[in-house]
Amino acid sequence: MFSYVARRVMYSVPVLFVASFIVFVAVRLTFDPTVKFRQLRDPNALIRARAKYGLDDPIPIQYFKWFSRVVRGDFGISTRTGGAVWPMMTRALGFTVQLIIWGILLALILAIGIGVFSAIKQYSIPDYMFTGLSYIGVAMPPFWFGLILIQVLGVYVKQRFNLPRPFFYFIGLHSTGKKGLNADYLRHLVLPVLTLTVQLIAQWSRFERASMLDVLSSDFVRTARAKGVPRRRVVFRHAFRNALIPLVTDVATQTGALFGGLIITESIFSIPGMGRLFIEALLSGDIYVVLAFMIITGLFVILFNLIADMLYSVLDPRVRLA
Amino acid sequence: MKRTSTGAKMAALLLGTAVFAAACGSSTKSADTTTATTAKASATTAAASGSTAAPTTAPAATTAPTVTPNTDPLIIGAEQEPDCADFINSCGGSSWGFWMMGVPVLPRAFDTVNDKGVYSVKPSNILDGEPTVVSAPKQVVTYKINPKAVWSTGDPITSADFKYMFEQIAGPDAKDVYDATGYDKIESVDASKPDTAVVTFKEVYADWKGLFGGSYGIMPSKYLTGKDRNAEMKDGFKFSGGPWMIDKWDKGVSITLVPNPKYWGDKPKISKVVFKIIADTAAEFQAYKAGEVSMIHPQPQIAVVDAITAGVEGNSSYTANTGSVEAIWLNNSKAPFDTPEVRQALAYAIDRDGVVNKLFGGLGVKTAVQSFNPPIVSKFAGSDFSVYKKDLTKVNDLMTKAGWAKGADGIYAKAGARASFALRTTAGNKRRELTQEILIAQLKDAGFEMKADNAKAGDLFGKILPAGDFQAAVYAQVATFPLPALTSLFLSTNIPSDANKQSGTNWTRTKIAGLDDKLQAADKELDEAKRIAISKDIDKLLAADATSIPLDPLPDITLWSKKITGPTDNTVLGPFWNMNTWTLSK
Repeated sequence: MFSYVARRVMYSVPVLFVASFIVFVAVRLTFDPTVKFRQLRDPNALIRARAKYGLDDPIPIQYFKWFSRVVRGDFGISTRTGGAVWPMMTRALGFTVQLIIWGILLALILAIGIGVFSAIKQYSIPDYMFTGLSYIGVAMPPFWFGLILIQVLGVYVKQRFNLPRPFFYFIGLHSTGKKGLNADYLRHLVLPVLTLTVQLIAQWSRFERASMLDVLSSDFVRTARAKGVPRRRVVFRHAFRNALIPLVTDVATQTGALFGGLIITESIFSIPGMGRLFIEALLSGDIYVVLAFMIITGLFVILFNLIADMLYSVLDPRVRLA
Repeated sequence: MKRTSTGAKMAALLLGTAVFAAACGSSTKSADTTTATTAKASATTAAASGSTAAPTTAPAATTAPTVTPNTDPLIIGAEQEPDCADFINSCGGSSWGFWMMGVPVLPRAFDTVNDKGVYSVKPSNILDGEPTVVSAPKQVVTYKINPKAVWSTGDPITSADFKYMFEQIAGPDAKDVYDATGYDKIESVDASKPDTAVVTFKEVYADWKGLFGGSYGIMPSKYLTGKDRNAEMKDGFKFSGGPWMIDKWDKGVSITLVPNPKYWGDKPKISKVVFKIIADTAAEFQAYKAGEVSMIHPQPQIAVVDAITAGVEGNSSYTANTGSVEAIWLNNSKAPFDTPEVRQALAYAIDRDGVVNKLFGGLGVKTAVQSFNPPIVSKFAGSDFSVYKKDLTKVNDLMTKAGWAKGADGIYAKAGARASFALRTTAGNKRRELTQEILIAQLKDAGFEMKADNAKAGDLFGKILPAGDFQAAVYAQVATFPLPALTSLFLSTNIPSDANKQSGTNWTRTKIAGLDDKLQAADKELDEAKRIAISKDIDKLLAADATSIPLDPLPDITLWSKKITGPTDNTVLGPFWNMNTWTLSK
């Protein structure tokens, strides 16, 4: 197992290296961090800015200067804010982690429940209903769904019931002056978490349903039933656990990707997480933030892919990593 | 059984992490900060105005509530978060930073006052009257400082602070400065008397009132000397010389101001002001409707105009008496706009009032501007562009004179080239996209083929326009105040070239005989009447050449709850300029 993990980590280093170079070139060619100086009356402002950001160097030189700093643990200075990149990333990650954890928990609970129920009650009316809803969920654009949630559960409910403030908040994760895990926090979480999870629930419930159906029709389940094991015990003790295996690996993989940020959700709900940081950095050509974002995201994807592999072997003893 | 417990442990771990993150993460870590950024009024290029754009200030439904003292914070939605609070540094330059942390916190030598739609600059309360100005042999401005003016530290505001600003921005050790315009014309600042700052200029600088204020304000030398100013200020600063001081800047979340207890002028009547960062315009509007924020100052986008037209609760103000002009900027060096006749024909082909009415008619803004000098500096603006009203006969005369003839498709053509062009603007800006749609329809009737070709703002302003890779473009320019200057936009030496290291901002490649002399003369003219006369001459030349076509003033829009009394528009200092006089009722 250890050598497997070590090998996977080693393989990922050149991947990250190549990816970071491609991103560096792409961002440098596409976005200009000196745009805001171009409309100033002071013509030297642009010249000063280009010199400060090292933009007069060839792009490969700029890249290797950055890379040499990164290997020494220095992710550089944001061209936008003038602040160190690393604290910006960790702070943003804190917000994103909150959304991801609550979102994954909610999505898992609902998706597994719906998936198992739909499989057991295959071709029933509720199954058709969940199937239809999951297709709608998958097709639902998060930016649209988020705004609809705000309009309906945020604004309409507040106005309809003449509340002094909205019951479900949609700006940030806490009201002014409040912090910690409390009702205010939960009221802020509902709408962004719903926005984030609607597609996950839809996808994972279909996944779990298919997986459950697969297991329910397998030989060992038929054998267990033939031997008189009660249906409930067969479903939940034997079939359910086996049906979870593909879902768990898929969840782990998707969770890694989610750390890259929830651009839409965080933007709509004014949550300063990784996604919002990334999009702001990208649009302003803040290359060092974009690169740090890419590396952190890449690391999380690699980490969670590893976790997925390991979970697979844990959940299915027949699988051994080598 | 064993696996079940592992799963439970993992779930507990996840939950624990979330709870921990919620408890310590989200909104609490904040730098005690103060910010200051650059302002839209002073930092950017100047553009000229609009004389006929009937300035409309439309207080929609203002009602005076009964004021009950309120200790609640006032929560305001902010569309943008500044990049940093060191306004002098290259990370400065944010209008919202200037509005939220510059104007309310940092003192400035001159205030911009909006008196019933007429803007003027007046000495602020850090000065003891109007400065004296001597223009020969060198321009010397003497500022007398109000003895009551103090920093929040209790130290007096002195001439050393003026000197500090000059040295930080244009002194020999100045580094990483955002915009040194004007300060680079200063020869010295004499601070030998603490209550008197004597500023000597190297050459005549007419816009001297924009110095020691503008987007930078004045900073305390006693506090900052010997320190790294950028490190002290970029995440917020603790000092104040204005009515408010920065309590907290929770990056990405909010900026909180509290009253400055040492302020010697009108003290704030609200206990705390919180600017919540809401970058998404749609969410910002909903937040206002739902009462999550009590005030917003959205950009004049179509959705906002529609929402206001449909009616929103609370008070609102919208005015076209602003410092921004949106225009159709023509590349004078690229066909088909490389001849004055075609540019003039284009100007006659457009019903500009019709365009403006479609964009902002709901706000009462129905007429086009007639100058690149915007409405707040309309006294510097001519009305020469008003001759350009839709007239297809004139279009035909001008195009024919220039050797163009209409083809079978109804579009003019000359030597195999059709009068076809792309109008470029910022992608995703619905207002500008609507402008394009209207123009396409209007111009087709007139014999021009126009296509929309949009790009990201960064690309447009960073590459396309400077490189001259456009035929026509729609975007806005913001004027300097109180003295507008068109030099950066139209001086021929400002055409991007190797000589100016491609940093010039005459993107339209305008070159008109006699224009350079007029532009430079205006910049150096201290006498306002003479400067106005020169500015109007400049407008004549620009209009005759139809170098570009002014279109609309960008309205300022502010919406606020009935609980708040006191907001009034100030397009130069921003919507929160007089926040210390506001009250907030229960």
